[in-house]
Amino acid sequence: MIITAILTALVSACLGWGRMPPGPLGLLSVGLGLLLGLLGRHEHGGALSIDALAQRSSLGGVNAVLKFWGSLALLLLCVLSASALPGLALALLMGVLTVRGGRVPLHDYLSLLALPAAFLLISALALLWSWGDSPAGVLNIPLFGGWLSVSPAAQARTALVICKALGAVSCLYLLSLSTPMAEIIAVLRRAHVPALAVELMYLIYRYIFILLDMHRTMHDAAQSRLGYDGFRLSVRTTGSIYANLLARSFKRAGACFDAMESRCYDGEIRFLEREKPVLPVHAAAAAGLLILTFGLSLLAF
Amino acid sequence: MRELLRLEHLSYSYDDDRAALTDVSVSLYAGQRVAVLGNNGAGKSTFFLCCNGVLRPSAGDIYLDGERLGSKNPDRSRLRRAVGLVFQDPDTQIIAGTVEAEVSFGPMNLRLPREEVRRRVDDAVENLQLEDFRTRPPHYLSGGEKKRVSIADVLAMEPELLLLDEPAASLDPANARLLEQNLELLGRRGLGLVIATHDVDFAWRWAERVLVFSGGTLRADAAPERVFADDALLKQCGLQQPTLYQVGRLLRMDPPPRTVEELAARRTN
Repeated sequence: MIITAILTALVSACLGWGRMPPGPLGLLSVGLGLLLGLLGRHEHGGALSIDALAQRSSLGGVNAVLKFWGSLALLLLCVLSASALPGLALALLMGVLTVRGGRVPLHDYLSLLALPAAFLLISALALLWSWGDSPAGVLNIPLFGGWLSVSPAAQARTALVICKALGAVSCLYLLSLSTPMAEIIAVLRRAHVPALAVELMYLIYRYIFILLDMHRTMHDAAQSRLGYDGFRLSVRTTGSIYANLLARSFKRAGACFDAMESRCYDGEIRFLEREKPVLPVHAAAAAGLLILTFGLSLLAF
Repeated sequence: MRELLRLEHLSYSYDDDRAALTDVSVSLYAGQRVAVLGNNGAGKSTFFLCCNGVLRPSAGDIYLDGERLGSKNPDRSRLRRAVGLVFQDPDTQIIAGTVEAEVSFGPMNLRLPREEVRRRVDDAVENLQLEDFRTRPPHYLSGGEKKRVSIADVLAMEPELLLLDEPAASLDPANARLLEQNLELLGRRGLGLVIATHDVDFAWRWAERVLVFSGGTLRADAAPERVFADDALLKQCGLQQPTLYQVGRLLRMDPPPRTVEELAARRTN
């Protein structure tokens, strides 16, 4: 989180250099960094908390088909657009929708956003700075007889990439923070994704948690016997835990198959699905968002 | 009582040299409450898997409603429809992402019409008080709740005979009591219940018939009074007399009381 905050301040300073007076720019950059650093929360197990948050989301009652195809369409519009506007607007709107509409705590949302943001910001630095013979940019640092510089073109390009990526990530987060995995898989099944892929998704989703649980108990048991006392021991313990995990998984797979057979499994996994109705207000909101994003992306031409 | 399932001279071995079940002959009836006792590795789980048609016996015959079943798939499928099996660890059984989808897995496999599946899922969910968990993923449930899901799973297939493999293992006392109440309800609806257990006290107060397994063979098949009176058998199979049975004998009560309430009532009379 702290790294992301520092990166944010750094990147926004580079982006705004030469376009804004240094004073306000410095304040803005440090402010953005501080905001992220203070509001976000450092925590591990992102995937787990996404699952838990999706369960509790107030947007859980919205039809999953609408959410899935709606966010996918918005994502496509945002990525294909030539301007940064749709991305920026979506990042804000989807963020508000997820945090306000879905009642996802702001702390959690920001710390989830920090995961992809860290990658994005590092790439942004690489995009911004280029090495050349002359100090051609708005910001230049002499280095090894040449110049590291930020050109206005690079600033524009980086801003576009950041906005698009943020918009796309926010669309995905709206979907994944408001829709339990089982519902997303059901949408895919109805979209005629091959049965084998869908069944694997169901099983993988279920067994992720069983494996995690198995791993946690083994890890705790090893720790209680001082298995992580020092680097060499930790490496060895980790190795034997993973070996054991593999063996137990195989055994468990056999038992699970027996259990499925005992309930008349015949090679095809089918579940009863209960559909949530599409409410007019939800449909209208989705249509509004689509029209707005489309309009914004047209503005660029 | 109507005979549902009959095994004749049934044997099963996982490897060629290690027999898990040898020459087991037993009949199971509709509406009967049967406890299966025996220490670890005695063959209880293998017995259940054979009764349910998951394992193909290496020798012997299985009769369902008096009709001999072959080892072909349609016959095994008939067996799985009539006999439901609840596994010891709910996590081996649960595969779906929500409780409701999970309970629907069995009925969907029976190729029932959608309305019928819905009705059965609703019934099973209601019977095991799982209404609040319908859309919850299984990994957010407690052990007792998962156990109830795994029972609902099988109940939704509406079997005539229900086999439960150590259902009370790893349940806390409150959940174990709840489980017993659920079993009572199921028994009253005429479902045949067969429960593998290590808890002789439970077997004594609940069962009307006891099967004792040891080393892969069926050592006894009798009323609880007779099984627990046989000291030599209990010793050989590593079993103990139920506490209330011992108390009853000390107090020279014949037959010994099944419950504490019965003990109290008979003492005051």
